[in-house]
Amino acid sequence: MELATKKIVLRYHWVFRIREGWGIFHQSLLGKIGLVLLLLFALMALCSYIPPRLDPMYDPMTGVDPKISHSTGPSMRHWLGTDFMGRDILSQLLAGARIAFMVGVSAAFMSIFLGTAIGMIAGYVGRIMDTLLMRLADMIMVMPTLLVVLILSSLFGQLNIWTIVLIIALFRWPGVSRVIRSQTLSLKQRPFIEAARVAGASHLRIIFRHIMPNVLPLSFLYMTFRVTSAIIIEAALAFLGFGDPGTVSWGMMLQWVWKTGHMFKAPYWLLPPGICISLITLSFYMLGRAMDEVLDPRLRREQEAG
Amino acid sequence: MNLTHNVKTHVLTARVLILGLLAVMFLIPWRHAYGADMVKVGLLQEPKTLNIWLASDRWSRKVLGQIYQPLYIRDPKTLKFIPWLAQEHPVYDEATLSYTVKIRPAKWSDGSDLTSEDVAFTGRLIKEFRVPRYASKWKFIKKIETPDRHTVRFYLKTPKAIFLTRTLTTPIVQKREWTEVIEAAKKTEKPLHALLNHKMDRPVSSGPFVLKDWKQGAYLFLQKNRYFFGQDKTIDNRKLGPHIGGIIFKIFGTSDAAIMALKKGGIDMFWWAIQPGYLEDLRKHENIRVFYNEKSALYYMGFNVRRPPFNDVNLRRAIATLIDKDFILKRILQGYGIKMYSIVPPGNHFWYCPNLPRYGEGLPKEARIRRAYEILRKTGYTWQVPPIDTEGKIVKAKDIRLPDGRPMKRFTILTPPADYDPNRAMCGMIIQEWLRAMGMPAFSKPMAFGSLIQQVKTRRDFDAFILGYGNLSLDPDYLRNFFHSRNDKPKGWNMSGYKNPEFDRIADLSAGTMDRDKRRALIWQMQKIIMNDVPYIPLYNPKLVEAVRSDRFTGWVEMLGGIGNIWSFCRLRPR
Repeated sequence: MELATKKIVLRYHWVFRIREGWGIFHQSLLGKIGLVLLLLFALMALCSYIPPRLDPMYDPMTGVDPKISHSTGPSMRHWLGTDFMGRDILSQLLAGARIAFMVGVSAAFMSIFLGTAIGMIAGYVGRIMDTLLMRLADMIMVMPTLLVVLILSSLFGQLNIWTIVLIIALFRWPGVSRVIRSQTLSLKQRPFIEAARVAGASHLRIIFRHIMPNVLPLSFLYMTFRVTSAIIIEAALAFLGFGDPGTVSWGMMLQWVWKTGHMFKAPYWLLPPGICISLITLSFYMLGRAMDEVLDPRLRREQEAG
Repeated sequence: MNLTHNVKTHVLTARVLILGLLAVMFLIPWRHAYGADMVKVGLLQEPKTLNIWLASDRWSRKVLGQIYQPLYIRDPKTLKFIPWLAQEHPVYDEATLSYTVKIRPAKWSDGSDLTSEDVAFTGRLIKEFRVPRYASKWKFIKKIETPDRHTVRFYLKTPKAIFLTRTLTTPIVQKREWTEVIEAAKKTEKPLHALLNHKMDRPVSSGPFVLKDWKQGAYLFLQKNRYFFGQDKTIDNRKLGPHIGGIIFKIFGTSDAAIMALKKGGIDMFWWAIQPGYLEDLRKHENIRVFYNEKSALYYMGFNVRRPPFNDVNLRRAIATLIDKDFILKRILQGYGIKMYSIVPPGNHFWYCPNLPRYGEGLPKEARIRRAYEILRKTGYTWQVPPIDTEGKIVKAKDIRLPDGRPMKRFTILTPPADYDPNRAMCGMIIQEWLRAMGMPAFSKPMAFGSLIQQVKTRRDFDAFILGYGNLSLDPDYLRNFFHSRNDKPKGWNMSGYKNPEFDRIADLSAGTMDRDKRRALIWQMQKIIMNDVPYIPLYNPKLVEAVRSDRFTGWVEMLGGIGNIWSFCRLRPR
């Protein structure tokens, strides 16, 4: 009977780990606030499909109110008012949430994927491969992402949103790869890796079956921070006039309010995208901090002792 | 004891003096520190150069316009040419095909005389070096003679209508200043390159102002030129000054910063078109006056007619039908502009042809789609999902196919970035959406202005673009330049690659026709051909909105192109 329980525990250890992690996460106020905010933005992103279906004038890019051709304050028809062309600001804000998630999550996922793979290979293979990959990481790490994207935009014209995502991902992996590499170096020396090697496991099997599961939680932790930086870079680019003109992002909304001269006279237009950018990045950061506590027992103990 | 007392007295005196000095510094209004008669003008960017032959950016030209003067300028009201450096109107001799111009007594800012030699030198320099900006205006001049110090005679190869309006409005430079420069340039492998790259620090001026100081990145100071020929004279029934001590150009990176400075009195004028969003605040300000003026401008969508899909006139006409100019004017320009139906602005009454096709004029969105659909369907275009379904309803079209059955490849509409011109960037985006509704794979692509020009003019690798001419000449000779097949070359004016032998013939004829009425008939014919073939779709001509402080200076002169003109700076007076 005891053996059977042990088998179940072993087979479903990840379920127990998640439950245990959730218990710790649940105790973190930061984590809870972050999660609630994030769910709110996710809801906004989902709701962004509704307004254009109600009336074409709520299309965030092309829909204009036939009766309004200038910026107006909040009203029953337009809860957050209209921009200078008579487009609904709420619809744009909701569409912006979708873009923020898309940019943030996809850029972060790509950079984490690259960072984890490169970090694991560098740490596991070592020697010349480690040196080469880490020097490459050093070179990319010192490049200012925003500046590089700005230069590329001015050379090749404004970039498509997916190109921006790709560039952000390509420039944000080195930090992750360094952490993953150090973790891999430590794991490599553990007895269970030695045991796997003795048992005849191939290098690929050791990397993907034995090392990866142990570094993945760390990767996901870093992903939350990468989402934040990706959203901020995209917003900064759009605000400076180098965003994708075909998408309605919060940065783009800020650029419109700025360039059309409404910066100081239309707070109903200026504040919502600004607040949303701050809150969504804050929510990912809070989530990351709480995840940090879940994954790093030392932080937990310090807090409990404190 | 006595020594201590003396020291104390000195310390006290020193303290009183320092306090007194500080009080004087704080109590005297700071504007007096650099003169109450200096007009402070806000610019968005720093002038790129003070070399007149290189200066092509508007910031350099705003500054150089106060320094180098032409023989003739336009009257601000009638827009007729009036003698400026010239004494009187040119005298034409049909027999010798020559124009004789008398120069008025004038001096350069270094005190030397401005003579006919300077005028002839300027022309010869342009012709010899083929200075890009001016060469086309001087290439038909066969010979320039200077019978005396105040007379210059131009011999033409053939009669040219643009001689008066374009050639004689070229700024004149000082022979003494440039002789050494061109001699040195001639000795180099690339003389033109050497001339254009000559660093001009202190241009000798014939205008109302002369450069005093330029702190790069901060300000540029033009001081009153005490040798200015117009000082206290009456030209064109206007008493000239300048009555101000000088102009200080301050550089602001953004309109926001410049407008803030204008509101707080940091500058007296912001020399740039103001976006409608700022107007409400500015109009309410008691010490700010807003000016609304017409521009001789053309903002348009151009196509690359050298290659598919825009080598098909029917597609261009369909796009012209889809573009809702009322929408652009009312919503993007916020009403500050006029719709354009020809390459010549309607304000240019004499040359503007009123009877031109107006594609989709006044139609609602659905009717535009129907009409464009009809044009395309009849000429062989097909769709996977056509914009009008079997029940006659408008639906979102998908995958348009060319008449030969091939799918239309994705194409880009290049525009300047919103940072440079939000209106054009927004037009590109909206037009992209209108075309997508017809199933066309259109992608608007804002691009840094320099790169855009290079791609369109030099590399000629593009599909469509939205550009503008903010300061079109009043003489419509640009029609010939924009669409003559001779100009379809790298860096040539014919950016669309439009070729039409009939148009070329009429254009050449118009250039040599001196009779205004006969020339007008030809210019109208040219406009008709262009609007029929639509290599360019004229979009709008924006109204120029400018703002100045009204509490310090008075006397701004309004004219086509705004208040930033030589007349204003010659007539401004402190209040």
